[in-house]
This record gives sequence, structure tokens and C-alpha cells, in this order.
Amino acid sequence: MNVSASRSRQHGQALTVVLHVVLLLCVLGQIVYLASRYRARVDLTSDQLWSSTDSTRTLIDKLDKRLVIEAYFSPKEKLPVLYRETRSVADNFLDEVVQLGKGKVVLQRFDPNADKAITDRANRIGIKPLQLSSSTSTSASVDLHWQGVRLVYGGGKQKVLGAFTPTSSFMAEAIVTPAIKEVATEQKRKFGYMEWPATAIGQQQPGGIGWNALRTNEGISKRYEFQNYKDEDGALLPDELDTLFLFRPKDLTDRQKYVFDQFVVRGGTLVVFADAAEYAIGPQRMFSKIPLSLDANGSKQQLLSQLLHYGIDWKPKVLADLFQRTFTARDPREPFEYLAVPQLNNFGQQTLVGKPYPYFFHALAYDWRDAADDLARDDKTRQVDREAADSYRKRFGPGMPSDEFLFKAFKQLGRAPGFYWPTWVGLREKAGGVADLPEGVTGRVHLWSSPAMLAEDPPQSLNPLGTGADPIARETTLRTFLMKLQERLRAEPRQQAPLMCEVKGRFTSFFTGQDRPLRPSEIKEAEAKKAADAAKVDDPNTPVDESKPNPDEGPQPKGKATDDADGKPLAPEPVMLASGDKPGRIVMIGDSDFVRDDLVGGTYAQAGGPCSARLAQPFFLQLLDWLAEDKDLVELQSRSTTDRTLKFVDDTGATNADPRLAEQKLRGKLAWLRGLNIVLPGALLVLLGLCVFTIRRAQKRAFLASLN
Amino acid sequence: MHEALVVFRRELKSYFLSPIAYVFGILLISVLLWYSTETALQNGARASTDGFFTMLPFMLILFLPGLTMRSWAEERKLGTLELLMTFPVTIRQLVFGKFAASLVYLGCVLLLTLGLPLTLATYGKLDWSPVLGSYFASLLFAGSFVAVGMFWSSLTRDQIVAMLLSLVSLFVLYQIGNPLYVEMAADWLPAWVVDTISGASPYKYFLSIARGVLDTRDLIYFACFCGFFLHANALVLQARRQRG
Repeated sequence: MNVSASRSRQHGQALTVVLHVVLLLCVLGQIVYLASRYRARVDLTSDQLWSSTDSTRTLIDKLDKRLVIEAYFSPKEKLPVLYRETRSVADNFLDEVVQLGKGKVVLQRFDPNADKAITDRANRIGIKPLQLSSSTSTSASVDLHWQGVRLVYGGGKQKVLGAFTPTSSFMAEAIVTPAIKEVATEQKRKFGYMEWPATAIGQQQPGGIGWNALRTNEGISKRYEFQNYKDEDGALLPDELDTLFLFRPKDLTDRQKYVFDQFVVRGGTLVVFADAAEYAIGPQRMFSKIPLSLDANGSKQQLLSQLLHYGIDWKPKVLADLFQRTFTARDPREPFEYLAVPQLNNFGQQTLVGKPYPYFFHALAYDWRDAADDLARDDKTRQVDREAADSYRKRFGPGMPSDEFLFKAFKQLGRAPGFYWPTWVGLREKAGGVADLPEGVTGRVHLWSSPAMLAEDPPQSLNPLGTGADPIARETTLRTFLMKLQERLRAEPRQQAPLMCEVKGRFTSFFTGQDRPLRPSEIKEAEAKKAADAAKVDDPNTPVDESKPNPDEGPQPKGKATDDADGKPLAPEPVMLASGDKPGRIVMIGDSDFVRDDLVGGTYAQAGGPCSARLAQPFFLQLLDWLAEDKDLVELQSRSTTDRTLKFVDDTGATNADPRLAEQKLRGKLAWLRGLNIVLPGALLVLLGLCVFTIRRAQKRAFLASLN
Repeated sequence: MHEALVVFRRELKSYFLSPIAYVFGILLISVLLWYSTETALQNGARASTDGFFTMLPFMLILFLPGLTMRSWAEERKLGTLELLMTFPVTIRQLVFGKFAASLVYLGCVLLLTLGLPLTLATYGKLDWSPVLGSYFASLLFAGSFVAVGMFWSSLTRDQIVAMLLSLVSLFVLYQIGNPLYVEMAADWLPAWVVDTISGASPYKYFLSIARGVLDTRDLIYFACFCGFFLHANALVLQARRQRG
């Protein structure tokens, strides 16, 4: 009986313990579940790698309708290994967006491989599957892997990301947030433009080479709309237009200059991609000058004087930068960003080999004051001219001094996009290099060349390799070409050239006190009137029509209409504005080639470049965001990670050291560091153990001795 | 609290007086650093301790059972457990004292690996915050495994059995949170089952903190996990005391 009672008691106790444990498990499980629902997190990484930017948060906060994110994802485990990581990043980011949405953002997941109807829908809306073939010993098949997203805002506007494969949270955010912005924005921001196409030598390109590729780029055209405002009759720009791009202006009439003048005086933003000369590249890559005149025949006003009036000093010279790092391609595997030539390597394969060509260069994110001593060092004696070094320290500055968000990502990269045959666009200066801007106008230079810069009037040819096909002869020509430049550099004072500048403020009209330049139609009309008057003089019985304006009388009063050449009534032109109420803005970029269709499109890549797409495209997009002052996306565009590359030895390129010695030094250092890291902690523990053992032994001996 | 501190001191002292702890420590950090320095210290690589903290959980699975197997099993084998039970300390204090001592000992061992991040910081721009976060995550992860190991040690008199049980259970706990196996399981198990199972693994939460994000969910999970196994440990000892 006692045994039975004892067993029963023991069973009861065991049951109690089991129940206790199960209940505890349930409670703790519930706590963890609740903790995962209501959580607070701190991103410890200094680059905030795992946090969305305020841009995304603000944008999602501002959503006033429901945003549905349809994720067309096939199962992750079936994805190829390379894509699995992108799925994790995509999942993490979309989950975070849903959390940020606080109910306004809904995530719906679909597996197109699971249902034919979903597959059809995914195909129909533009989700692009990744097709990978797999084979076994008996069969071969093509697997479809889906990872696309559709954003539907308020049940209406939608955006499809056909293949959403971000490799980092930055990338996921940079893809999704602008897409959300796109669907949530009712109207696209409008920009105006005028372009003067470049001559297309030997190419089937009617109308010349323009700047259409970037404007119509998918990422850009979805958010911004460009409209051509180049009007043969020189109509004033409409009030609703606030930004106008000029792509390589040339042959400008006084009327066109007047249109730009009134635009900036009224408060518009004028962005000019300027060139002092046009060099044809063509299939032969001759680099020959094609005549380019900024002012049209018969133009009374000079464009350069007009810009100087606003505070911009454009010296129509071609610039070269002889500091090696400025014309070296970022990726040695793709040297055609600047200039390369196809050559046969030792295995008989054709490869592109980069060639130094100082007329293609980029601004460096480097403070040139730090190089003052090197620049003032005599080549032969190696002595530093202290006076010159001090002067350089005062005069020189960083290549990218701007802290605008447009340049943040480029600063991290260490360089601006590459320019091709750029020109000098700086601020108007007084003697001593002090900026001399009009009253009420401020300005700054955003990009500078290195101090090893040469400026010259555009020469007829800038072909560094000559016309022959013999590689040795071409090399000799190139060497001579570079030597001549070096000689000139030695003879000329060191100076930095401004490559991009900006002025803003209340501008006064360049045409104040002058007659308003007439529109071509007005001129025609005036001529017709003159002819009619002449006829009247011949026939004094004809009455004079007083209602017709006299173009010689200067600005016309508002509301007064004239007739155009076709007899249609012209819109009344506002009176000339001598000074504006709103601040205007002019941004001058000293190159238009790097954003031109042929260079962006990589037309010359096979021949060895130049090709600009890699940096020109992000630069142009960020320029638009910067000009649009799109605060929502500011942080997103400028977001980048800190360079955490380990450097155990100095850069061999900089010190010109023997690479074998450097390799040996690196190996030795790494072996020593690895050894130290592995052995030292263990040795410390051994030492501690020995100390403890010795002390214990001594204590034991002392104890035994005390007993004796 | 004072009693728990006494137990803690006694246990910690026993660690540093025992040659096993030194052998364990030297082996753990040598193997760990041997593998991780090879990948971490390379010219042009990113200054990151990711390799080290990827390797650490696996090394802890191999080494921790050896450390925790003796915590109760040895006491039972030597007959000192009964003596311990007669001390004026509660079982909870006993369990907590032993647990804290193991954790501090592991903390000391991990401290000796700081040379690697210091080296990386000397030759590159190391982001220290996630590194310290990862050390913290490692300590929490090690703590959860110590709690499991101690629980198994309390169930058996034989240290080898305790070690094997710990090894198997820690390995299972590690693998059910391993993203690779979670994905495989997702193929033939419903999503909620996969989520529940992987949600029980400390490895999942370790990865979450080690990437550089301190999340209240992860902290609460570790607190609950350790609390559960330590409580279960105390229940086993309590039952044993009641049985006499």
C-alpha cells in the first residue's frame, strides 16, 4: 500500500513538473511571439546598413492611399545559390516597408510556379522570370525563377519591377523607394531643354548626335518629363517652366539670348552643358575640330559677355589635366571610359589597352593643398620651393569642394564623372582671384581640375595617336604628344580650372537699356510694314493703320498682340523685365560630351572608347533630383557605405616600388600578423595557467611545510 | 544574492584552477582564430569580423558540452551535490551561480580574441559597434547553450552522457535555425511549422544581433530561453532534493 502510494505521489509530482514545464514553455513562447510583434531595434552599424533612410520613412508616412506590394516570388529554396541572398535582402526590405507603413502598406505574396493563373498574370504585367537550365544524366529542363514586384497605389497607378534582385539593403531601397515615389506622385516634374546636335561624321544619324539617351532613360523618364522648347521664332519661355537645360549651345541669336535672360531674371534655373569646341570622334577616332561658334552671324550681343553679366566667367578654351590619376580609368578591365586602343596580347587575343590622354579627365576628390610641396618640388634638384608651396596652399583647394548631395556619392567614389575636352566655367573674378559676383548673387564652383592643368584655344586636331595603323608609330606619336604637353606644363604657371559652377540670386537683365531683340516673325513683319510704308509714300492716299505696333519702339506693352508670318495672331509678349522678384539660378557644366548619346551609349567601346555611361547616368539622375530639390529622395541618392578595405602595405602605384618586393613584404606582414593573432591569445592563457599552477604549488608546499 | 555570489566565486575559481578550462580555452581560441584570420587578414579584403562570428557558434557547439558536462554530473559523481544541497543556498541561487561563472569564464576567453578586431582596426576602418554587438550576441548565444548543457548535466550522473546529450541537442538547436536547413524544410513543411521550429533556435537570433542590429525581440528571446532551461534545471534538482 505504501509502495503504491509512494509511486502514485511520484507520478503526481512528475506530472506536475511536466505541466509546469509545458505551461512555462507556452508562456515564454507567447512572450517571444509578442516581442516579435512589438519590437524596438537599434541599428549599431555606423553606415546604418539595416535601416531605411528618412527619405523612405517620410515617403511612406506621406502615403494617403493604400499601397499594395505584390511580390511574385517563386520558392526561395529553389532559387540558384547566387540569387538566394538577393531574396533574403528583398524579403527583409519589403517586410520593413510593411512595418513602416503601419497598415497603409500591404504585402501580398504569389508563387507564379504554383498556379497557372498567377503565371499568366505575372507574364502579363511584365514580371520577368529568370530562366535557368538544369540537367541530369537522363533529362534536361529549363526552370523559371520569379522575383518581381508590382506596386499598386490606391488601386490605380502601378509600377512593375520585373526583376527585383537587390544585393544589399541600400540597393533594395534605391530601387523600391523611387518606385513608391513614382506611383504615389500624381504628376511628373517637367524640365525644358534645347539642344544643338553634334555633327555625326561617317554615321547614319540624321540631324546629328543629340542628348536623348539620358533624357529618355527608363529610370529618368519615369520620374521626369522633358519638353523641347527650342522655338524657331524665339518665343519667351512659359511661366510654368522653372528649369531649362541647354545642351551645347551654339550659333545663338540675340533673340535666343534674350529668351534665356528673361528666363533667369524671372527666377528660372538654367543648366548649361557647355563646350568650347566640337571634336568629331567618328569611326576613325580622328579627334578633329569641327567649327563651333557660340554666337550666330549678325548677333550683336556675345554669350560670354551675357554670362559674365550674371557672374559666370566662361573661357572658351579646351582643358587638359596632366595629373595621371585624373585620366586613368577607374576599372582597369574597362579602360575605354577614357581612351584605349585595341591591341593583341601575348595569346593573340584582342584586348583594350588604356592610353594616357589628358584631354579626357575627371575632377578628383582630393584636397590639392596637401600636394603643394610636391607641386613646388624641382624635378631635377628635388628641392621644394617654399614660397611657391605656400602660394599653392593659399590658391588651391579640393577638386570636389561641394557638400551638396549631388556630389556625396561621387566624393565617396573619389572622383567626379569623366569629362571629355572640357572647358573653363568659373565665377567672375577680380584681380587676386576674388569672386566678383553681381549684387544679390552668390556662387560657387563645384568641380575643379588638378593644378597640373593646361588651357588652350581649341586646336584643329587633338589626335594623340596619329593616323597610321602601325602600333609602334602610334606609340611614338602618343609619346611625342604627351611630351609636348609636359613641356608646356613646365612652362606655364600651376592653376586649377573650374569645371562646374553655379550662381544664384536676383539677376538683372543683360538687355537693360537696350532694345528688346525681335522675334524673326516680328522682323519679317517689320520688313513687310516698311515695304508697305514705302509703298504708301509712293501712294499718299492710303490710310495708315495705327493699331500695328512698331518694332523699332522697343518693348511692347503687355497685352498688345502682333501677327506672325502666317497671319495668325501672336501671343502678347510680356514687357522686358529689368530685374526679377524671384531668385534665378544658372548651373554651368564645362562639358556636354559626357552626357551625349554616342558616349553614353558606348558607341566607341569596341574601338577603345571614350564611353561615359557608368558615371554619366547616375550623375544626370542625381543632377535632376538636386535641381528638383526632391527632398524625399535626397538621402537615398547620396547613401553609400564607408570604404573599409584593408591596406597592409602602401599602394605600389603611388610609390613606384617594385611590385615583387611589395608582394614579399605583404606576405611577410600577413604571416606575422596571423601568427600573432593565433599564438598570442593561447600563449597568454598558457602563461596564466602556469602562473596559477606555480602559485598553487607554492601554496601547497607552504601548507605541507606548515604541517611538518 | 550574496549566496549566489558565493557560489559564483567558487565556480569561477574552480574554472581557473582546473587545467581542463585552460586546455578548453586554448583549443577554442586557437582553432577559431586559425580559421578566421586566414579569411579576415587579406590585403584588399573588407575590415570585418564576419568570418570569426560565423565560425564561433559552430565552435561553441563542439566545445561547450565539454565545459558544461561537469557542472552537475561531476558533483553527483563525486557526491558533492548532496553536500551542496545542505548549504544555506536555494537551488535557484546554485543554478544561477554556476551559470554566471560559466558565462564569465567564456567572456574571458572571448576577450582574448579581441586582438583580431584590433588588428583589423589598425589596417582598415573597422566598424566597432557591430563588432561589440557581435561579442554581446556571442555571449548571449553561449549563455543559452550553457543553460542547455547544464540542464543535461543535471539529468545524468555520467559526464560523457551529459556531453553527448548536450552535443546532440545543441547541434539540433543550431541547425533548425540555420537558414540553409530552414529553406530545405520549407519545401515539405507548412510555413507556420517552419517558422515555429526555426523560431526556437538561438542561432537565428544570434545572426540577427551579429549583423549589427540590437532588437528587443532577440534580447527577450535569449532571456526566455536561458530562463526556461535554468528553471528546468532547478526543477530537476528540486525533485532530486525532495526524493532525497
